[in-house]
Amino acid sequence: MFPRRNQRASGNAHPTPRKHRADYQILLYMGILVIIGLIVIYSISPARVEMMNAGGNSALAQTHFMERQFLYLGVGLTAFFVAASLPLNLWRKYPKHVLLLGLLSCALLSFLGLLMDGGLIIKTNGAVRWYDFGIISFQPSELLKFGILLFGATFLGKQVAQKKVNDLHETLIPIGLIVVVSVLLVVVMQKDMGTGLTIFGMVFAMLYAAGLSRKWLALGVGISLVSGVLMVLFSPHRITRVLTFFSSSGVSDAASYHINQATIALGSGGFFGKGLGHGVQAFGYLPEAVNDSIFAIVGETFGFLGSTVVIVLFAALLWRILKVMEKTVAPEWRILTAGVFGLIATHVAVNVGAMTGVFPLTGVTLPFLSFGGTSLLFTMLELGIVMAISRYTTHMNITKQEAVRETTVRRRGVGRSRYASPRRNK
Amino acid sequence: MQTNQDYYRTVGLRSTILWWVVVFFVFIFILRLFYVQVVRNSYYVEEAKASQVTKLTIFPERGNIYAVDNLGEEIVPFVLNETVYTVFADPYEVKNALEVRNVVNEIAAGEIVETGFDLLDDKKLRYAVLARQVSRPQAEMIAKKELAGVGLQKGSRRVYPEGILASQLLGFVDNEGIGKYGLEGYMDKELGGVPGRLETVTDVRRIPLTIGDDNVSQPALDGSDVVLSIDRSVQFKAERLLREGLERSKATKGSILVMNPSNGRILAMANYPTYDPAKYTEVDDYAVFQNKTVAYPYENGSVMKTLTMGAGLDSGAVTVNSTFADGTGCYKMEEWPKAICNVEDDPKKAAATMLDVLRYSLNTGVIYVLRQMGGGTINDQARNTLYSYFHDKYRYGQLTGVEQDGELAGTIIKPTDQEGSSIRYANMTFGQGMDNTMIQTASAFSMIINGGTYYKPTLVRGTYQQGQVIEKMPEVVASSVIRADISEQIRDLIWQGRKTGFFGKNDPEGFKVGGKTGTSQVIDPKTGRYSDDNSIGTYLGFGGSNSPEYVIMVRVDDAKVPGYAGTSAAGPIFNDMSNWLLRYLNVLPSAG
Repeated sequence: MFPRRNQRASGNAHPTPRKHRADYQILLYMGILVIIGLIVIYSISPARVEMMNAGGNSALAQTHFMERQFLYLGVGLTAFFVAASLPLNLWRKYPKHVLLLGLLSCALLSFLGLLMDGGLIIKTNGAVRWYDFGIISFQPSELLKFGILLFGATFLGKQVAQKKVNDLHETLIPIGLIVVVSVLLVVVMQKDMGTGLTIFGMVFAMLYAAGLSRKWLALGVGISLVSGVLMVLFSPHRITRVLTFFSSSGVSDAASYHINQATIALGSGGFFGKGLGHGVQAFGYLPEAVNDSIFAIVGETFGFLGSTVVIVLFAALLWRILKVMEKTVAPEWRILTAGVFGLIATHVAVNVGAMTGVFPLTGVTLPFLSFGGTSLLFTMLELGIVMAISRYTTHMNITKQEAVRETTVRRRGVGRSRYASPRRNK
Repeated sequence: MQTNQDYYRTVGLRSTILWWVVVFFVFIFILRLFYVQVVRNSYYVEEAKASQVTKLTIFPERGNIYAVDNLGEEIVPFVLNETVYTVFADPYEVKNALEVRNVVNEIAAGEIVETGFDLLDDKKLRYAVLARQVSRPQAEMIAKKELAGVGLQKGSRRVYPEGILASQLLGFVDNEGIGKYGLEGYMDKELGGVPGRLETVTDVRRIPLTIGDDNVSQPALDGSDVVLSIDRSVQFKAERLLREGLERSKATKGSILVMNPSNGRILAMANYPTYDPAKYTEVDDYAVFQNKTVAYPYENGSVMKTLTMGAGLDSGAVTVNSTFADGTGCYKMEEWPKAICNVEDDPKKAAATMLDVLRYSLNTGVIYVLRQMGGGTINDQARNTLYSYFHDKYRYGQLTGVEQDGELAGTIIKPTDQEGSSIRYANMTFGQGMDNTMIQTASAFSMIINGGTYYKPTLVRGTYQQGQVIEKMPEVVASSVIRADISEQIRDLIWQGRKTGFFGKNDPEGFKVGGKTGTSQVIDPKTGRYSDDNSIGTYLGFGGSNSPEYVIMVRVDDAKVPGYAGTSAAGPIFNDMSNWLLRYLNVLPSAG
């Protein structure tokens, strides 16, 4: 029996609850978000295609983006359901390998970027973020994030069990090293500040859930802020973005144009939105309309109502993830769930923050809505694992449960979960 | 040492904290979205409109300008439009600057804008003009070469089938499509038409989309085709005779004006020197753009005696039978040290007639008329009477409204002004001390000989619509300005004045050709005094049989031949023009 074996193997005093029904709210919220994304992509696909074909280098079909997104969704949903039904132990087996693969594929990409322009890689505005395998392209930084997630979860889980989370040499330096190397690869080599931020957000959430002490937390936040400022200072294009953010004047550089057009899309949408097929911003005005800027298109199409619904759905999804986290007994799965929370939360905050002009512009996708295969695949895979973890939650918040357990264990000496029977978790 | 319980408590607390962080951001984002999407909605709707809606101006076709020929039998084009192209480059897109230079140079060498090619290497630029006013065949050749980054912009330019004929009265259209000078300047709105509007939501490349409810599409209204009152043959002859006349008198500047006194229509209007309106950009001296017949007020000189006489007769100050003592040939005024004297032709009669006044151009005679207006002296009444004729009836000091840009009103000093002294008014009787344009004098003169109807002088006969001339009615500014019988008297007096004078003996029999010379000294800008070396010669007259058919006014600025310029330089041009017109207009000699 898996739970009991787990109990013995970890040597943990905490019992792992029996497998029960997964938290289908996660699937529900994700599904609605995916459908909203599909509808929006469907409505602006012709506009995007027309703009791209006008460049003369392509002859795509009107529904190109829609078709592609269907394909990606097929792959992503498969990954989600497979991950949701695979035994959790699988993710414990190769975290190091996945992490190494992620690091290597990123490093190789940067190396290829120095050698060639085009061919196996895609270079845009001097940044190399994609492998190009003909019909399919691949963003290795997503694999890297997944690697960090798996490795971080298993590694920190082990450290939690050994109460070494706050140990500088055994926990913080290794994790710090992984983060620094990854961020170097992603931010410096790929010029992808957005992905760098999401790695930070993910690792921070994992450490936070692992119980990092306040001292280290404060230090970590301090170091992150300083390194963030340094990175901005050493990269001119980020300086302009930050300056753009702080000056509302008509600086006509690309970033301010982007934010300006996003705000116009949102603002012109009004309360109820312009309706499907009535948006104009996707006709070349708003950059990255199907990808990073899709939230602005949602706002233009469905108005304040639509954009609020999307935000609330994300909040609901994050809430469910947090619920899974706080009811998960096994530290590695709790930390992994926290990582997924951090990842999705950072993506949404950075993306929506940029589109609404609350934060400076950094190009990250809006999970489940943005067009893009790799991002969709990995986000769904990761959420699928959370879905799998949700099958093993306890009924109660572990804090309370612990309190109950300690008293009951002492009083009655009962070592097994009170909620062994599969039941809908609330 | 941390206990499990502490640890789990921490984790639970942290989960709650993370949830509140989420709530905080959700709150911030929704607040911000509410502000942007609801509060500022109308602002961003306008912003969106400003960037998404393209307002295109549809340029109307400028009206053609026609003239008549053969006394209105024929309509001939004077100004038409031609499609031309501007060759431009987007330096950012240009791949081979050298090839672009060679191709454009080879095909449109004459229309090249040299500086445009220097901009081709500046990749930051998106627009550089390489050649202007390239013809359609040239443009097609350039288009065939399919040069990367080179485009053609359709435009229009004015073409002049008659070349430089009537250039100053036509004016030209500048690079911005705005009419300048002459008729093009004055009738810019009518000729230019009304631009159409196209407001449509477009994509970022400015290609119209079908999205949006408030797209506006308003077609342009083309400008009207104007038919001039100018008769091509008369205009051609007038320009030629003027040029030849100026050559004869070694003058370099002059003007001629031919109009129909019975409707105000101008048949010819020309100045020399002139310019080619198709090459107006090559003109250095912008003064040449001016139509001096309307834009150059000057002291008309003794031709004004005809008008003074008209005023004298009509006001009753004198009659055709009046005489005055002209024994000295001079008139001395108390206010002025020097007496005003007549020219040497003056026979100095003891009883000079009104005909003598015009025939011998007696300054003392028109001063006599002025004196009679005051009952014998140049008093307020005399000056007021002369002013009321000159200003109110002859309309000096006012624009005639002839369809020409830059018309000037000239100056006439009021009797109530400090400057309006008796000596000035005495001078005004023979055309000194006041500045007027030829169009003013010719129009007033037409009035006093046509029976007393002041027609607005006009260059426009009507509009041309679907091959038909829609005639414009002559515009009567004032009728019965002077009595009809007085008009007949003054006409006869002017006719007799010419007939008995220097030119009249050569006039063909059976026609009534009347006229008056004028020579006005010009104030030397160096000394500020009237100079004897420089004078403007003018001739003002009419011709016809029982009724006057035409009025001709000629001005020669800088004649360098002996004698009075009005007689020696301007008069002969009038004679040639008048004789030619009698034949051209098929004027039948009267029995008398």
